[in-house]
Amino acid sequence: MKKTLFFMSVSLLTLAACASNEEGETNEAEAEGEASAEEVDEETNNEAEISEEVVEIEFWHGMGGGLGDTLEALVDDYNASQEEFHITPEYQGSYEELLTQFRTVGGTETAPALVQMFEVGTKYMIESGYITPVQEWIDKDGYDVTQLEENILSYYTVEDELYSMPFNSSTPALYFNKDMFEEAGLDPENPPRTFSEIKEAAEKLTDEDTYGFSMLGHGWFFEQLIATQSADYVDQENGRTADATEVLFGGEEGLRAYEWLNEMNEAGTFEYYGRDWDDLRAAFQTENVAMYMDSSAGTKDAINNAGFEVGVSFIPHADEIDPNGVVIGGASVWMGSGISEEEQQGAWEFMKWFNQPEVQAEWHVNTGYFATHPEAYNEPVVEGEHEEYPQLRVPIEQLQATVPSSATQGALITVFPESREQVVTSLEELYQGTSPEDALQMAVEGSNRAIEVSERASE
Amino acid sequence: MKQQAADILDTKTLTVQDAIDKYKVASTKTWWQKTGNYRIAFLYLLPSLLLFSVFMFYPMIYSLYLSFFFTDAQGTASAFVGWENYTYLFQSAAFRNSVGVTLLFVLYTVPSSVIIALFLALLANEKLRGIGLYRTIFASTLGMSVAASAVIWLFMFHPTAGILNAALTSINLPALSWLQDSTMALVSVAITTIWMNTGFSFLILLGGLQNIDEHLYESARIDGAGYFYRLRRITVPMLSPTLFFIITITFINSFQSFGQVDILTGGGPAEATNLIIYSIYKEAFIYYQFGPASAQAIILFGAVLLLTLLQFKFGEKKVHYQ
Repeated sequence: MKKTLFFMSVSLLTLAACASNEEGETNEAEAEGEASAEEVDEETNNEAEISEEVVEIEFWHGMGGGLGDTLEALVDDYNASQEEFHITPEYQGSYEELLTQFRTVGGTETAPALVQMFEVGTKYMIESGYITPVQEWIDKDGYDVTQLEENILSYYTVEDELYSMPFNSSTPALYFNKDMFEEAGLDPENPPRTFSEIKEAAEKLTDEDTYGFSMLGHGWFFEQLIATQSADYVDQENGRTADATEVLFGGEEGLRAYEWLNEMNEAGTFEYYGRDWDDLRAAFQTENVAMYMDSSAGTKDAINNAGFEVGVSFIPHADEIDPNGVVIGGASVWMGSGISEEEQQGAWEFMKWFNQPEVQAEWHVNTGYFATHPEAYNEPVVEGEHEEYPQLRVPIEQLQATVPSSATQGALITVFPESREQVVTSLEELYQGTSPEDALQMAVEGSNRAIEVSERASE
Repeated sequence: MKQQAADILDTKTLTVQDAIDKYKVASTKTWWQKTGNYRIAFLYLLPSLLLFSVFMFYPMIYSLYLSFFFTDAQGTASAFVGWENYTYLFQSAAFRNSVGVTLLFVLYTVPSSVIIALFLALLANEKLRGIGLYRTIFASTLGMSVAASAVIWLFMFHPTAGILNAALTSINLPALSWLQDSTMALVSVAITTIWMNTGFSFLILLGGLQNIDEHLYESARIDGAGYFYRLRRITVPMLSPTLFFIITITFINSFQSFGQVDILTGGGPAEATNLIIYSIYKEAFIYYQFGPASAQAIILFGAVLLLTLLQFKFGEKKVHYQ
């Protein structure tokens, strides 16, 4: 009996000890929190002695590697240019990871004031309720937004409101090996444009260890092949007038693209290198692939790394239809809601600053992304760069030649990431021997199911 | 007749019951005192129960709850759909494919991991000069993180710059699409997994081998038993508890292989390596559909639980404990 009591009291004591420990920890944590808050206060105070009052603004982005360095340098320039605001860039991983991160903290106090988001996250961001449309600040500030590149603005404009500020935009283009073109008796200055021309050229370029053509396993390229035929990806004017209810890419336009890829794949003039951008780029650099589609943001790297002449041209289009151009890709910058007016002011100032021609000129030259401000192309740095790399002009010309329509404006759907996955999976099925009709149907059904689920979930 | 028999039985029980009542000494302990041991047991279990509740039971029950819902853009359960997530899964060709791929993957990895590890352990158990070096080498994959190993293999599998294709072409064999071809991709992921599993299994099996009493071998040798006879009659039975442990662990690990799939193939090409666990991840963290993802997780949990129970029921009979 005594023993039992003893044990019970011991365990109770242990428990009590645990409890008090926990309390202690919380107290410590609180104390730490206070301390750091005080530190921050002190820091701000110290800086305030020099300048008036510095407003800290967090900026989440998804640019790693060299692009990330360029971005940080850009932000440093901004911080040095004025004393009122301080932007702190924070790398959050790939675009997809960035979206996931933002989903988890959106609407809470830890949410950033500025967040970069890839183009297909647009619809999600609008619906999330965690953001303030930049249009509010454009109106408040009387900012002339028409000075920016129209084709980029149109993507991020929904129901006449600009939701996010253009930041890094790119489009796909066709990249080809000029040396191989000459060897195969093709004219490198007059590259193939239509599906059938590409197919014929691919046949001539294919030999024992070279494939004529390849396309990355990424939904973006298929979307472009649809858009340039002036076909919408989803209904409701590409999801721009109302919530999309079903996908439209399963029509003849989609089938043309699938059949074209299938014919080349069956003829052995096409090779699939998977979903990793770098694998396909490596295959091009090692001359295993003669022609492929890549993002215009990769132009300079492609030219610098290649041991041969690289040609850049417009993306392929179906023979039956005149090309309508491209949809922009890349990302834009969003302003978080639920932050102070002051922080929003700072975020807005930064947005205006990076869209200035001089800043955009630097950005374009250092990364290969488009300049969001057309006047940037007249800046001396850009002109010099274009002399040296005339290929950089091709994507710009392609974008400016784009026919404005709902198709080239780009689709707005919440489940875009999932639909892309469905498209890539069905293309992989196609390359493994599934018929173009069946493969395309799979992508359509999968995407429609995703749309249906998301619609019912948000009711 | 029946009634009679029942009556007899009844009288009998009654008599026994009477006897019990007659000789029973009334307990002086109260109910509270009698259950004291249970309360103490509970107190001792409490810390782990608390941890398990927070990190295991609560998420499990919440998963079960979510599996009956669709979730909105914020990830909260918004529309009750009953069994739809489950019925959709059983009709979906993609999920059937995931199940098939997972089973195939388990089949590829478990036997080969265990056999290779056993083979290496038998080699390393010989008493030779410098055997310590080999033991270190064979066990070295244990120290590698999943991510690091997968990246190493990713480089080796590279279609144009990889060492495997370079080796193949140098002996005039055609280069293989290790990760781009749908049948090859699963084999490639399996090879990586086997390589990663081997270190741990090797170390545990070697430990098991070292524990076998040397006298058994000595007597067997005196009786004129050959190497393979000793292997079959002494080594394997004596090693069976270790082998059983390794098989169970490899089996469960194999069902939960995630990192290597994510890094090597991302579930592709054409879903050829989309193991259930990876499909759950995509559904939940790429599509943000926690409902269907939870339904898959519940099914996977049930399947692994069932298979492990079966393994214990049938496998354990063959295990020889000393």
